Amino acid sequence: MSPARTRLLAGAVLSTGTLLLAGCSGSGGTSSASHDSINYALPANFTPNWILPIGTAAHLNTNNISIANSLWEPLIAYDGSTGKIAWNKAGSVATDAKFAADNKSVTITLGDRHWSDGKPITSADVKFWFDLIKANKAEWAGYNPGKAPDNWISFKSVDDRHFTITFDKAYNPQWMLANELSSINPLPQHAWDQGGDAKKTWTYLNNAAKNISGYASNSLWKTISGPYAVTSFSTAGKVVLTANKKYDGGEKPGIPTVNLLPFTTADAEKNALRSGTVDYGYIEATDLDQKDRFTAQGYEVKPWSGWAITYMPYNFNNPAMGAVFKQLYARQAVQRSIDQAGLAKVIFGGTAVPGYGPVPQGQASAFVSPVQKDDPYPFSTSAARELLTGHGWSEQGGVMTCTEPAQCGAGIAKGTKFEMQVLSQSGSTVTDNMMSAIQSSLAKTGIKFSIKTAPVNSVLSQTPQCTAGQSICTWQLSFFGTAGSWYFSAFPTGDSLFQSKGGSNFGNYSNPAVDTLISRSTTSSSNQAIQDYSAALAKDLPVIWLPEPVYQISVIRNGLGGFSQDSLANFHPAQWKWTG
Amino acid sequence: METALYLTRRLLQALAVILIVTVVVFCLLHALPGGPARGILGPQATAQQIAAFNHEQGLDRPLPVQYLYYLHTLVQGDLGTSYTLNEAVSRLIEQRLPKTLVLTVLSALLGLLLAIPLGMWQGVRRNKPVDYAVTTLSFVAYSTPVYFLGLLLILVFTQVLRWFPSQAPQGDTLAQVFADPLALVLPVVTGAASMIAVFSRYMRAATLENLAEDYVRTARAGGSRPGAILWRHVFRNSLTPVIAMLGYYVPVLFGGALVVEQLFNYPGMGLLFWSAAQSSDYPVLLGCVLVISVATVIGTLLADIVQRIVDPRVKTERI
Repeated sequence: MSPARTRLLAGAVLSTGTLLLAGCSGSGGTSSASHDSINYALPANFTPNWILPIGTAAHLNTNNISIANSLWEPLIAYDGSTGKIAWNKAGSVATDAKFAADNKSVTITLGDRHWSDGKPITSADVKFWFDLIKANKAEWAGYNPGKAPDNWISFKSVDDRHFTITFDKAYNPQWMLANELSSINPLPQHAWDQGGDAKKTWTYLNNAAKNISGYASNSLWKTISGPYAVTSFSTAGKVVLTANKKYDGGEKPGIPTVNLLPFTTADAEKNALRSGTVDYGYIEATDLDQKDRFTAQGYEVKPWSGWAITYMPYNFNNPAMGAVFKQLYARQAVQRSIDQAGLAKVIFGGTAVPGYGPVPQGQASAFVSPVQKDDPYPFSTSAARELLTGHGWSEQGGVMTCTEPAQCGAGIAKGTKFEMQVLSQSGSTVTDNMMSAIQSSLAKTGIKFSIKTAPVNSVLSQTPQCTAGQSICTWQLSFFGTAGSWYFSAFPTGDSLFQSKGGSNFGNYSNPAVDTLISRSTTSSSNQAIQDYSAALAKDLPVIWLPEPVYQISVIRNGLGGFSQDSLANFHPAQWKWTG
Repeated sequence: METALYLTRRLLQALAVILIVTVVVFCLLHALPGGPARGILGPQATAQQIAAFNHEQGLDRPLPVQYLYYLHTLVQGDLGTSYTLNEAVSRLIEQRLPKTLVLTVLSALLGLLLAIPLGMWQGVRRNKPVDYAVTTLSFVAYSTPVYFLGLLLILVFTQVLRWFPSQAPQGDTLAQVFADPLALVLPVVTGAASMIAVFSRYMRAATLENLAEDYVRTARAGGSRPGAILWRHVFRNSLTPVIAMLGYYVPVLFGGALVVEQLFNYPGMGLLFWSAAQSSDYPVLLGCVLVISVATVIGTLLADIVQRIVDPRVKTERI
């Protein structure tokens, strides 16, 4: 070999060697590998970015709320962390709530609790929250006009540990407790109040919360009532919580250090799981075939069921198809073309549950009506075809076409084809497969179903409430439910979802009878009211009901236990314990 | 004087390009139907919350007014605040850009350190078995998607051999990143692979071209040693096209970084841009586009300058 060639070769080897040598130190990733800590994987592409338990909808998502609730314990923790959706008194500041006989007020008792600086938690701390929300309700994430705090007309402190909230009318105590009073978080008035000015205080706290890098150091965030304190809060998303030694509530932290780890993608998280650096993570439904591999690695694969429903809203104001969607027989034909049991079994690997109405069916509850449970429109494409042919439609070129407008219904012109398009959430193989399966079964009925995809944020932006004349009203069907379309509070009312002009009633569904039932479900003390609502919407089909996927397919290291996965999709680190 | 004029002209061109890019991107983003509010606030947001968000972010103003306001804040160094990350865009870029630069610079260094000698070696050993072998490997590396290669490396080195961690360094600061060099190996190698393939091909072609030049024949006839000819003449002249390509390769490096960042859980600029695009986070998108545009313009400018230093002929040709 010539000297020149030798040097060329040597150069190549040396450059590689240099870089490899640079890499030959340091350590690889490791799991917590001790019973003093736990590595919990946050959802892919989610970065924790808010610490305050009050704020705007842009900040108060489920994971941020879970972190905030670990620091400032809620007044009434009404969740699924005990295995069923109920008031978890161990994780609450309040110990009792007594409703007046007329259900127009409630008197709440606080536990003998203290802030981390030693000061007692009193009614004044609850009033502090109450005043902040009253004065800034438009900016508060939990605000829905007509609901809390609009329907709370007064707050009266009885003494340091008792207070009374009076409502504008009688309410169903269970609904009030589960959906409204559960949103209250006692806040340290003595440490946070800015001279009694609720507007000024709101701005002050929200501005302080915009400084993520100050979360671990700002003294403002040191006065806490929850089981954990923030030790580190990286702007890149890693959060380290350590047990609050001054915590005197009922849910003592089982693991001293909790590491909440951010992941760029589900694949990156899965790789971390496989290499053993995560104790509590997740996989996608398409990875269920690798369940044995994770089991062999010392993990348990455990689906985390959500208190949610999944659906595709119709746009009843769509200029082309709105008139068709307004016909119940047409909606029945569509629903009868969806093989929910088949989708749940084949597409979701058995982890999803068919849903036939507005109340979640993933968990047993007293809210589901027998009508909804029994599936009023079972899968049958032949029955679906009959529904259409019996109403003036006939198949032309493989697509049902209205040939008898008088039978088709109001506003449906002769020659109208039953063709509809969905704008569906992209990025999920499971969703893509489900849409293809639906397309195939609708084709058997003679309904052409085309699929367009976009990121979930775009789907939500492009499928708003609209009127027929608006250019944005061209959308026909929308799907944003890869992990469930709608997560309910503990009491699953459909006020903003299916009530006429409800804030999240995307497709402008309107039925005065349903409005009455929704209203009754929030005021009547009987579960019959919500069951009536469940039955009415299971029959009236305001949306296309679809199988309810699990919130997450968890992969949990053996030995980690002592908790149930909260179906309201919050995590509760204080309940986690190393048992083995 | 000539150089100063040249640089001034190029800088003015660069400013114009960046301005045009911001206008185009701004208009395209705001042409998206529906606006970002519903997506950012989620399905449960009320109409009042959406209206409040649009007002707070100035999205309810006419588009030209929004753009002028954006430019006004931009010249003050304010890139806005992310809708989704609760951080100033400038701060996000300040945190993420160095991490991506570490990745791209190390990948580029490794790529060039291997590609240049490899390409020259192939040129010297033209049409020999080793040339065919390396050419085949280059084509394989070039045609292998970065994502697939990364997954393969993760599978082999983190799960079978368990030599390296599956994640890139998770620290926030550069010091923390460099404190875990073992975790940098797989991301850097993944990023470098396609670059080795591409640049070794350029280097091979340039070496072959130069080896056939008259000056090489003259040097040989004059009795110069082959090694001296190769390193003193051929090497330097062959670098010219490689340097020119490097500047234009900056956006490709950023694109590659996105895939590597996703795979190795390394939140850098690429991922920031991708996430912002997914969530319609306009301020972050605009900030990222601005940075990538500036980086591309600076990259091509630097490449031109280095080229003028390496090859004086360029000077007379371009001015």
